[in-house]
Amino acid sequence: MRDQEQRPWPAHLVEAVLLVSASPIGSSDLRSATGLSDQELESALAGLRERYAPEASGIVLREVAGGYLLSTNPACSGAVETFRQEARPAPLSGAAHEVLACALYLGPLTRGAVSRVRGVNSDAVIRSLIERNLLVEVGADHDAPGSPALLGVTDDFLAATGATSRRDFPPVDSLVTQEELDRVRERLASSGTAPHDAGSEPA
Amino acid sequence: MTFEPLGRSLSDFTVELDVYSGPYEWLLALILKDELEIFEVPLRELVESYLLARQPDAANGLERDTDFAGSAAALILLKSRTLSPTIDADSEGIEDEPLSADELAERLTQYLKVRRAAEHLKDRFTSNAGHYVSAHTIAPRQGSLSVNPDRVSLAARQAFSRLIEPPVRHLGPITVTLQELAGIIRTAIAGGPISYESLTSDMDRMNRAVAFAAALSLAQEGSLTLTQAEPLGPLTLEPAT
Repeated sequence: MRDQEQRPWPAHLVEAVLLVSASPIGSSDLRSATGLSDQELESALAGLRERYAPEASGIVLREVAGGYLLSTNPACSGAVETFRQEARPAPLSGAAHEVLACALYLGPLTRGAVSRVRGVNSDAVIRSLIERNLLVEVGADHDAPGSPALLGVTDDFLAATGATSRRDFPPVDSLVTQEELDRVRERLASSGTAPHDAGSEPA
Repeated sequence: MTFEPLGRSLSDFTVELDVYSGPYEWLLALILKDELEIFEVPLRELVESYLLARQPDAANGLERDTDFAGSAAALILLKSRTLSPTIDADSEGIEDEPLSADELAERLTQYLKVRRAAEHLKDRFTSNAGHYVSAHTIAPRQGSLSVNPDRVSLAARQAFSRLIEPPVRHLGPITVTLQELAGIIRTAIAGGPISYESLTSDMDRMNRAVAFAAALSLAQEGSLTLTQAEPLGPLTLEPAT
């Protein structure tokens, strides 16, 4: 800290603001709160990244959901959970991951569209994810009868997956190999329901 | 959905699942009370757990197997009903029309991508678990619509509660009633006017206050007249004329 006649160090200002926030703070909000210039802010964040690296501190600086967030180091989570006397939230089910994948890669989309992609009713899973603030209604599909709500992922989802934005996720096509796609068509062919472009007779 | 009584043959069977860890009977109870979503329970893992813990040579082995098969079948039925599309002509998303081969291939391809994306998300959730943020809660910004339940509760309590009673410990116990003092006053003024000071000279502070209230009450009903020549001067009680 500089002497009392001067302002605190930029890193101290940023650190103090981040400490009291439970959600990520964007650069513009940090600048506004601290009065720092772009250059001062970037320099302060660089220093904090070093100070709060996972191997250097029980607190880590994360860049998630379009902002910066101070969190406890996962290596210390056991002590935190013991102190808070609460267990870590139960991991999500496979169905929940599928619904989130739909919202992330195909969304915003309606509950019906999620069910259509998965082939099963997904209302209960969606309700559970909304309660956990990983999914949110972001609008309505006014072209559909009844204007059903459109679902999208939340900032909490981005923070929970360690993502800065939706662009942090790999393209969905890159997650599936051509061999896997070919196997799907082969199975369809063997079951007598091969698509036209697979070269087989339609069922 | 109801389960037949298990007969306690499975009371010692415990399960270890991601979503639940503990006695199997409690798992059933949580599902029936809607405190645990059936779609979250991996039934295959459940059956595998039972097969590992199965005791075919036990005295009640057959009873245990029967009870488990019955309850597991009920869970499968319950889960299938939960996951099945609603049979409703207006239901959105699930079509009754059979898909063409091309559409089916497209659907399966898309679902395969979603499955792979789900697996990717699971890895990301796992690798980012265990971060806890500040417990400090920032007050809502001005202009944003926010209702703090605690403040609403406090406002309601203030609006509907009685005013705080003034402290009266210094007054001491009440030893005489208003009616008794009214009788004393009537007797005292029967012989002519009397000052309030002389009337209450042998009374304590509390009784003086009650005597003044009694005098005001008698004056209001016309039984006596209160006279005070000057502000803060002596107060005289005299019979009404």
